[in-house]
Amino acid sequence: MTWLQAMLLAVLQGASELFPVSSLGHTVLVPALLHWKFDRSEPTFLAFVVALHLGTALALVVFYRSDWTRIGRALGASVVRGSLSDDADERIGWLLVVGTIPVALLGAFLEHPVRRFFGSSALVAGFLILNALVMFAGEALRRRETATASAQPLASLPWAGAVQVGFAQSAALLPGISRSGASIVAGLLLRLTHDDAARYSFLLATPVIVAASLLEIPKLFEPQAHGVLAQSAVGAVVAALTAYASVAFLTRWFHAHDLRPFGWYCLIFGSLALALALAKVIS
Amino acid sequence: MKALPVALAVIFFIVAALYLIGILQIGVSGEAHGPHVKHAVLFAVLGILSLVWMRFQRTSARPGR
Repeated sequence: MTWLQAMLLAVLQGASELFPVSSLGHTVLVPALLHWKFDRSEPTFLAFVVALHLGTALALVVFYRSDWTRIGRALGASVVRGSLSDDADERIGWLLVVGTIPVALLGAFLEHPVRRFFGSSALVAGFLILNALVMFAGEALRRRETATASAQPLASLPWAGAVQVGFAQSAALLPGISRSGASIVAGLLLRLTHDDAARYSFLLATPVIVAASLLEIPKLFEPQAHGVLAQSAVGAVVAALTAYASVAFLTRWFHAHDLRPFGWYCLIFGSLALALALAKVIS
Repeated sequence: MKALPVALAVIFFIVAALYLIGILQIGVSGEAHGPHVKHAVLFAVLGILSLVWMRFQRTSARPGR
C-alpha cells in the first residue's frame, strides 16, 4: 500500500462512515475501480483499518462531547437512583443502550458470515443500489406520514422504536448498505425529524464504532503491523479530521435537507459499478 | 418478574466466561478456536445491563416509591 493509497482510503473511510453512502461498500468498490489489489485478511491491512476506525470514533466522540457528557451523567444518576426519570438526556441515553443491543449482537454473530459478500463487486454494487432505494422509499413514506401526523421529539421515541432503529443499523453489516442511511430512515419512519433521526443515528453509531475499534487495538501491535505503523497513525488523523468535517456538515445538512441527494449518488455510483462488474471490467 | 433479570444476568455471565476460556465457539470466525474476547465482553456487558434492570425493578417494587 502506497502513501497515496493509504491517505485516499483514510479520507474515504472518514467521510463514507458518516455520509449515508456505505463505508464498507466504498472500501470494496473504490479499490476495485482503481484496480488496487489488497488482501483484506493481511495483518498489515487489518491494522490500518483499525487505525482508521479509531480516528473516526474519536471524531464522533469529540463532536458530540457535550451530548455524551450530559448523557453519561444522566445515565450514571439513573443507575445510582435505581429508577427512570423524565430527564430527556437520561431517556436518550437509555434509548441508545437499548438500540445498541441488536447491532452488537448481530454484529458479533454475523460479521464473519457476511464477509463472503466482500469479494463480489457486483453484489456490493447491488446492495448500494438497494441502499438508494431504501432511502428514496423512506423519504416517500416519511412525507406521506407527515401529512397525517406531526413529528415526535427524540426523547419521546418508544423503547421498541429504539430496538427497530438498532436492527436497521445492523443492516450495515452488508457492504453497500449504509449504517447512517438505514438508521436515519428507521428514525424517520418512527416520526423523528431529519435532525433528530441523524443525531440519534450518529450517537448510536458511536459506541459500536468505539467498542469495535478498541477491541481490535491488539492488531495494531502485532509484529507484522509494524511496517504500516506510520501510515496507520497518519491515516487515523486524516480519517478523524474527515469524519469530524463530515458529521459537522451532515448535522447542518439535515436541518433543511433530506436523504434524497445521497440516494441519487448511491443509485448512480452503484449502477455504474454494477455495469462495470457485469462487463468484467472490475472483479 | 424480578427473577428474569437475575436469570439473564447469570446466563450472560456464564456465556461470557465460556467465550473467554474458549469453550464456546458459536458464531465465531471459522479459523479461530481460542478465547473470544469480543464475544466475552459483549455478554459481560449484557450481564451488567441485566443487573441494572434488576436494580430498577427492585427500586420500583419498594412501597412509597
